[in-house]
Amino acid sequence: MPSLLHQFWVDLLQDLPRFTETLVKMPGADKETDLSERIESFLSELKRCGSGAGSLRGSAETARETTALLRRITAQARWGNAGDLMEIIRKEGRRMTAAQPSETTVGNMVRRVLKIIREEYARSRGSTEEADQQESLHKLLTSGGSSEDNFRQHFAHLKANVIEAINELLTELEGTTDNISMQALEHIHSNEVIMTIGRSRTVEAFLKDAARKRKFHVMVAECAPFCQGHEMATSLSKEDIETTVIPDAAIFAVMSRVNKVIIGTQTVLANGGLRAVNGTHTLALAAKHHSTPLIVCAPMFKLSPQFPNEEDTFHKFVSPHEVLPFTEGEILSKVNAHGPVFDYVPPELITLFISNIGGNAPSYIYRLMSELYHPEDHEL
Amino acid sequence: VTRLRVKPGESILETSKRTNSRQLPEEQPLLQAVLVADSFNRRFFPITKDQPRALLPLANVSMIDYTLEFLTSTGVQETFVFCCWMASKIKEHLRKSKWCRPTSPNVVHVITSDLYRSLGDVLRDVDAKALVRSDFLLVYGDVVSNIDISQALQEHKQRRNMDKNVSVMTMIFKESPPGHKTRCEDDDIIIAMDGKSKRILHYQRAQALKRLHFPMNIFHSGSDEFEIRFDLLDCHISICSPQVAELFTDNFDYQTKNDFVRGLLVNEEILGNQIHMHVTKDGYGARVSNLLMYDTVSSDTIRRWVYPITPEANFADQEGQSCTHSRHNVYRETGVSLGHGSQMEENVLIGRNTMIGANCTISNTVIGANCVIGDNVTLDRAYIWNRVHIADDVKVKQSVICDNVEVKHGVVLNEQCVLAYNVVVGPDITLPEGTVLSMHHPDEEDDEDDDEFLSDDNDVGYRKDKTKQKVFNPAEVGSEGKGYRWKTSSLEDTEEDELAECIWGLVLNADPESDSESEVSEGSHDLGSHPASPELDDVKVFQNEVHGTLQRGLDENISCDNLVLEINSLKYAYNISLKEVMQILIRVVLEFPFHQQGAQISTAQYSSHLLPLLKKWAPVFKNYVKRPQDQLDCLASMEEVFLERETHWAALVKVLMSMYQLEILEEEGIMHWFNQGSTTDKSQQLRRNQGLLKFIQWLQEAEESSEGDE
Repeated sequence: MPSLLHQFWVDLLQDLPRFTETLVKMPGADKETDLSERIESFLSELKRCGSGAGSLRGSAETARETTALLRRITAQARWGNAGDLMEIIRKEGRRMTAAQPSETTVGNMVRRVLKIIREEYARSRGSTEEADQQESLHKLLTSGGSSEDNFRQHFAHLKANVIEAINELLTELEGTTDNISMQALEHIHSNEVIMTIGRSRTVEAFLKDAARKRKFHVMVAECAPFCQGHEMATSLSKEDIETTVIPDAAIFAVMSRVNKVIIGTQTVLANGGLRAVNGTHTLALAAKHHSTPLIVCAPMFKLSPQFPNEEDTFHKFVSPHEVLPFTEGEILSKVNAHGPVFDYVPPELITLFISNIGGNAPSYIYRLMSELYHPEDHEL
Repeated sequence: VTRLRVKPGESILETSKRTNSRQLPEEQPLLQAVLVADSFNRRFFPITKDQPRALLPLANVSMIDYTLEFLTSTGVQETFVFCCWMASKIKEHLRKSKWCRPTSPNVVHVITSDLYRSLGDVLRDVDAKALVRSDFLLVYGDVVSNIDISQALQEHKQRRNMDKNVSVMTMIFKESPPGHKTRCEDDDIIIAMDGKSKRILHYQRAQALKRLHFPMNIFHSGSDEFEIRFDLLDCHISICSPQVAELFTDNFDYQTKNDFVRGLLVNEEILGNQIHMHVTKDGYGARVSNLLMYDTVSSDTIRRWVYPITPEANFADQEGQSCTHSRHNVYRETGVSLGHGSQMEENVLIGRNTMIGANCTISNTVIGANCVIGDNVTLDRAYIWNRVHIADDVKVKQSVICDNVEVKHGVVLNEQCVLAYNVVVGPDITLPEGTVLSMHHPDEEDDEDDDEFLSDDNDVGYRKDKTKQKVFNPAEVGSEGKGYRWKTSSLEDTEEDELAECIWGLVLNADPESDSESEVSEGSHDLGSHPASPELDDVKVFQNEVHGTLQRGLDENISCDNLVLEINSLKYAYNISLKEVMQILIRVVLEFPFHQQGAQISTAQYSSHLLPLLKKWAPVFKNYVKRPQDQLDCLASMEEVFLERETHWAALVKVLMSMYQLEILEEEGIMHWFNQGSTTDKSQQLRRNQGLLKFIQWLQEAEESSEGDE
């Protein structure tokens, strides 16, 4: 008996190094698989999201989730210096944007994080951000390649700094809707007639905020065939806002009575134009004809360096079910039905952008763009 | 726990959203699926001689990937793939795919055996290996769908919780009216269902049937809403409880799902198992069961009906298969080159590194990877797989061209041609409609053993060439061609049985008239008229029996208690409800004097005969007339009898009087009946009868005086 026990202890002691090794290894390996699992599930969710026009989640939520995931990548992935990290983030970012090209928010957040890394790296090196950002002609000529080499230096505290900065970005994202709706009273006055189209969570909050102090009338274009306008109208009327739903065909007819058009958008493009829900272009043209101001509520994270000429990813076509129901039978084999989701609105039809940092004209968008994103990150 | 208490109906949808699998992963057992990656038939022969059906490309992605994507997106976490024919190829494909990566949310297990001959064998094996622990999804490896199953699953679970595992299966259907191109006539079904509980009462394949028969018992199910539907497309997706596998084990003669459903419905009374259905409105679901379905499902995918499963989504996550989508549903993968003057008109998908020459016209076509297509080629509804060479001046209409085929200069392929793997055709030959060419000789299958590829349906009736030649016939494949012709499906010489096996399915061969005829016959089975007529027979017999019983009772002076006993046993024998028993009893008794004395007796004679009888049988009446509602029913049937015999209206008051005195009827009941709004003129006339009015007046006075007394 004692010999058996003795043997056991000897075995255990011999095994101990291997045992502890596995113990140490396990959490690391776990972390890696956990991370890639999270990325995969995020990707597949992106691919599936939105069988109709508006995705199940708002883009604000997508932005937050993307940023949180990028923070996790920063914290858990293996990287030695800023260059490695940027490479990892760029690689994952490419996959994320490819998963759902119409959801530009994802790419925007990736660009924001890349910019953060650049800034933190520059700060660690001691050079001022200002100097780095200055776009002198000389710098434009010599840029490319040279800056990449500089990211190879290792800084111990870089990780913590980057995570800290991403946390700040997350806090900023949390407050965007509130920041926009805070400006509502400056734009909406008593007894005004306001027109909007479809359903935008930002516009909804904006109008509800104004309704706490002022009385006004909202006309909601229903935005067929998905008719998100119905949801919007229900939500507004619950807050005791006088609401009328109109069919899309009546937009022009009603426009003469409207004081202001306030809409949301899916993306603000680099030229100050919009990629917004179908029907917005009609609305914008009608507003232009009647010289009605068109205000776009768009948080900064919707600002994308994309231009409207990239045709293939610009449009999104969903199942034609809403346009021509599957039950229609024989006719389906004789016609082609399409279910486009987005419209392009050129910048000259837009009066004002209201973002979480204040109101801007479309012509100022390029400036905001250069503040938010580094020019080298425009192409991921 | 709250889920169980939710009332069925309005709030199901909300709860299904709230109790998403993401939020309650611990409480819910993981969702499993059984994927049958074998069709057990030869619809795709001779293509499937070289490649199993599940791996055939549909819009350049293997069909099994569509099925797995569908399962994963509905939240299936564990899938068992059963394969038989060319199992190793399927296994190899899955091993490389994204489903077998460690990060996959859906764990795929491949189970292979050469012994599977049918769906029944697979499910018996599921039971033998005890693979499933709770409800599971059962699909084939060639189902393309984007249906959100969660609501149906919720309903299924609710049903099972409510009445202890009675419901064993929920079948998913898609609404698509007759004439819809996604309907496949092989799969046409007629379903009789209970409109409220969504229970399937009768299930029948309507294939080429001009007359339909429904068993009587389905009309007696006691449901308020009853529907017979012909506008449903079976998506071949079903939610099964573990019992399904057990039932297959118990009934070893079940081969297909059809056997199972029909067997279960026939034996419903005995086994007590029910099958329910779920009709989806906005999802898409179809099974590629023949080449015609292959054609329609491909074009539906290209036309984005299966969104978000679209070609450009690259859901299978294959390297380098990124694809762009532009106007008119034109999809291009990377490295596609298009010659000068070539047009991709609409609904076109072109695989990577495919080169297309000048002045081509391409519409409604899928072209795979690494193909070379010459100049002046016209392609319409062509399905061209990988590495195909097509020379100049070729015309292709609605045909399938498999991997590595070479089509030489000037070849014309008419509708429904199939060029199986590695065939060479041409030059300058026109293939007639429905030509099937393969490198395998049609007689080969005789030499080979049949058991490697068995059909579960009727015996395969392939028309074989009598000549056992093993050289290529230049008249069939062209002077430089390689391949054997399988059969020509000219419409005249194909028999009915062969039609069913035809590779392109039935639709084109069936004449449109038979289509409309079956619709008419379906429409003529109207609700209401049908259940009534058969019931009458039973009721009639019952009435005669009751009459006989009473007659005997009168003759042999049997006591009322025994009469009640006899009537009750008759009631059970003929399955008559209590209400009907009373109605019939009243009718029999009231007509009793006519039967005894002849129909011509006067009113006075009638009442003098009837009243003693009423007195005699009062206990029998009292046994059946108990509640106020019974009294009303009793009076209503009395009214009915008297309405038929206008001459004897005077007797009604006497009958009422004596029933009142015998305390069978109470004054409240009579008053209620009298004041009831009468529907027809005749019954109003009846109520204006002098004697009756007096009787009512007398009743009222009696009531008032009795009230006054108190």
